[in-house]
Amino acid sequence: MKSVLGDRRAIAILLGPALVVYTLVMLVPVVWSFGYTFVSGNPLEGFRFAGLSNFSRLVDDPDVHAALLFTLKYAVIMTIGQVVIGYTLALFYVFVLRRSSTLVRTLVFFPVVVPTVAVALLYQKIFQSAPRDGIVNELLVNVGLDRVDWLGSGTTAFIVIVVMDIWRSVGFYGVLIYAGLIDIPDDIIESARIDGARGWSLFRRIVLPLSLPILLSSIIFSINGTIKVFDSVLALTNGGPGSSNTPLTLYMYRTAFAYSDYGYGATIALLLTIMCFIVTLFIFRSARRDITT
Amino acid sequence: MLLDTEAQAPAPGRAPARPGRRPGAARRSVRRLLVALAIAALLVVEVYPLFWMFINSLKSSNEFLNTPSWSLPVDYRWDNYTAAWETGQLATTIRNSVVATLPSLFFIIVLGVAAGFTLEVMVWKGRNTVLLTILAGIMVPGQMILLPLFTIYFELHLTGSLWPLIITYTGHGLPLTVFMMATYFRAIPREIFEASTIDGAGMIRSFRSIGFPMVRNAVLTVALVQFFLIWNDLLFAITFANRRDLNTIQAGLLNFSGQYGSLDYGPLFAAICITIGGILVLYLALNQRIIQGLAAGAVKG
Amino acid sequence: MTTATFRDRRIVVAAIASTVALGLAACGGDDGSEASVDAPDKLTYLVNAENGNIPPVLEDMAQGVCAEQNEVLPLEISSIPQAELDAQIQLLVGQDALPVMFAAGGTPEEGAKLWEAGKLVDFEKELEELGVLDLIEPGAISTIKNLYGGAFNFLPFQYNVEGIFYNKAYFADNGLDEPQTWDDLMAAAETFAAQGITPFAASGEQGWPITRLLSGYIYRSLGPDALQKVADGEAKLTDPEYVEAAAQIASLGENGYLGENVASLDYDSAQNEFLTGNAAMFYMGTWALTAINDPEQNQIGVDNVGFMPFPAVEGGAGSIDQYPSNVGLPSTFGSGTFTSEVGDWTKCITENFGEMSLRDQNTISGFKVVNDVPGLPPLTQEVQEIIATTSDTVLWMEALFNAKAGQDSSHNAALLVTGEMSPEDFMSMLQTDLDAG
Repeated sequence: MKSVLGDRRAIAILLGPALVVYTLVMLVPVVWSFGYTFVSGNPLEGFRFAGLSNFSRLVDDPDVHAALLFTLKYAVIMTIGQVVIGYTLALFYVFVLRRSSTLVRTLVFFPVVVPTVAVALLYQKIFQSAPRDGIVNELLVNVGLDRVDWLGSGTTAFIVIVVMDIWRSVGFYGVLIYAGLIDIPDDIIESARIDGARGWSLFRRIVLPLSLPILLSSIIFSINGTIKVFDSVLALTNGGPGSSNTPLTLYMYRTAFAYSDYGYGATIALLLTIMCFIVTLFIFRSARRDITT
Repeated sequence: MLLDTEAQAPAPGRAPARPGRRPGAARRSVRRLLVALAIAALLVVEVYPLFWMFINSLKSSNEFLNTPSWSLPVDYRWDNYTAAWETGQLATTIRNSVVATLPSLFFIIVLGVAAGFTLEVMVWKGRNTVLLTILAGIMVPGQMILLPLFTIYFELHLTGSLWPLIITYTGHGLPLTVFMMATYFRAIPREIFEASTIDGAGMIRSFRSIGFPMVRNAVLTVALVQFFLIWNDLLFAITFANRRDLNTIQAGLLNFSGQYGSLDYGPLFAAICITIGGILVLYLALNQRIIQGLAAGAVKG
Repeated sequence: MTTATFRDRRIVVAAIASTVALGLAACGGDDGSEASVDAPDKLTYLVNAENGNIPPVLEDMAQGVCAEQNEVLPLEISSIPQAELDAQIQLLVGQDALPVMFAAGGTPEEGAKLWEAGKLVDFEKELEELGVLDLIEPGAISTIKNLYGGAFNFLPFQYNVEGIFYNKAYFADNGLDEPQTWDDLMAAAETFAAQGITPFAASGEQGWPITRLLSGYIYRSLGPDALQKVADGEAKLTDPEYVEAAAQIASLGENGYLGENVASLDYDSAQNEFLTGNAAMFYMGTWALTAINDPEQNQIGVDNVGFMPFPAVEGGAGSIDQYPSNVGLPSTFGSGTFTSEVGDWTKCITENFGEMSLRDQNTISGFKVVNDVPGLPPLTQEVQEIIATTSDTVLWMEALFNAKAGQDSSHNAALLVTGEMSPEDFMSMLQTDLDAG
């Protein structure tokens, strides 16, 4: 029977087209892009061989340091925010709302599917301070606080980015973790209750340990997404004010298209790719250890 | 399915009513009040901004500038919607988004399901290597393939059409699709396919008549995941289709805000409302499916 | 069996078809893009959204004097924020999808690159052929040649000097004369600030209105060749005298002279602050005359606005009569789409733009005005006079920068005045960009 499952003609026909497209759109460009890291210039002016100078520039470039720092800071804060708030939301769905949680889940999930640019423009207006106040400043003024030029300074703009992206994605993590929580067998929890576990101790001794796998999945997914952050920052602040909130993705984009240096842009993209691989592999390894021991 | 929950929901928190314990009615109603407050807070945070935008999409610029932004419009300016529709060329951007998304989805599904089947059900040498190579693609950020693709499309004279987007979306969407489909096929015992070939049918036929129908639900799930990834893409859209008449919804909105944003609040809000409204209709029709799909895509991705 | 193989074949066909379809796409796109490059069917014009002068004049032309040309090639204007323009042009060049007419060269070096790559029209040749080369001010041509790689490759839709527009009534009420020195200017600013009037309206969102103040100070304190020296490597922006200039501009923000929301104020809103009387002064190019002469926008009164040069810095090497002068963010035509129909349009524009722009927008362009335009507002006449008599001119902050330094300069200017970035850091960031080439 193996011969039927190993029918070469069938394999070629079923897999061939996908493999061709994947090779042309992903593999070839990745290798090509790697080749770009050894040149400088752009198609308009032509390319010059640059040896390893792009890499040494990468190491010294203060903008890369700033972008890297932003990317890491954002990824860590967002991952913590998404997973912690998502987990809280999931606990709320499962233990408080129970069967009636469908409607709430549906409403809270909706922003996940809204186009990022639309959300970003909405948030620009919500946090606006000039020429008129948005609703957030109106609220602050009404409760007697000072208005804030939210998008005008690096720190407050960062807060807006984080608030917006949490708002946008938390419904997703709520559902994701919810799906893991409801898989915890009912009788385990019942028997713990009979043993007298309530509230915090029930959570700490039973629920938390049993939901570790889904938490790890969430963390992997969150880091992988947040490290590639692009759309929301571009549309909300365009990396600003100044270059204070520029992630690597956006710096790469600018380097290639605004400063027309393909070689250096590709080098930044390579750094980003390596980061994605390292993070994923690292988490996979530690996850496997955690689950098996 | 991951989230077919209503039927099996164990509702682990349900405390059996215990007669004789004192907490009683007072405590329960406090608890109920707290829950209601929590739900209200959650809904205000998640839903109010959308409502806020809607009421402001109906105000004139003057009214927006001079009255509190939470007040209802004095004068309902529905013509903001006409203005947004025309100046933002929304008809064009919506058409472009549809024209870029649907063929991509079709190719992703056709190629991805077949590839998932071959890589999971069929037995051949090098299978694992190919699978891993494709899976590695999940981690590659769009920026890594952006510049070569840009050059390739230019050299092939593909620019000036939506083909660069369709091709890129197809290739970039394949890894996740193949991975998800392979996972679904893993759950189907190989014997089913072997049995089906006893009467001499080839693997291709057994894929078509057995494999594909068995994962039909999964295909819808995968299609929804890919739909939202493609529909909401910005990076490729602004790079490969940044000529005004090729803009997708996302890119069009970005340009719209630059062109009219600081002056015309009403039409800008209206354009956002239209964009969100379209998605809302789809979401209301398919929300449980979408939620399941995206969550499944994440767990497996 | 037969059906089985038949179905097999159908799958084969489908598989091949999908691969072929992707391949065919190549051919399909090919035809489309080639056709659009060769003969445009519209006069597409991509311009920075902040430009309020050129689009209305062109639209008027399309309805009026150039209606015939518009019949053949209808004008279609689209706009994007100035900050995005250079990148957008880069992307479009990479796809051979440049509009027929476009604004470019926010950093002149980028404009020169387009010229070197053969993407721009040589107007010296084309306008000569069309017989209208003598309708361009020679001064404007030489300014363009100096900035954009030695050729007449951009059109002078604007020909400006820059300076400080001020609210005459506010100055008179406080017994203040036009400040002649930086110290006078600061004293005036302090007076206004004490009364709750914002001394300067400036858009930090745009950034360049702030770096113009910086270059203004540098030219006055270090002389008209101060930024050329930096470009030639004879001086560095990190030298103490340059950093001192940045510190002076930063102190404007620190003292609250730029208003509360300078960092997020956009171009129109900043202009509006001045025109509604919230701010006493407004540094801008003379293209702002369009808005200033528009009674609907200008609520402080057309006659209430004065124009003065950037003041001198005591003991400085520069002098107050050296006005910054430029052709705005200039527009040009792509060489690939310059057909005879486009040429007709260009001719019509060249013949009429100067007069219409002056009459309808009150702005001065580098196109000669053939007929007299009567009844110009006094301020416009005053500016015309200044442009005609100024011989010594200077550039602007980013004029000699590369693309990255140019972007970093305008992007981060807001941070300099909000104190988030120190003058040292600001200048050394720019110097690093310049050193990187």
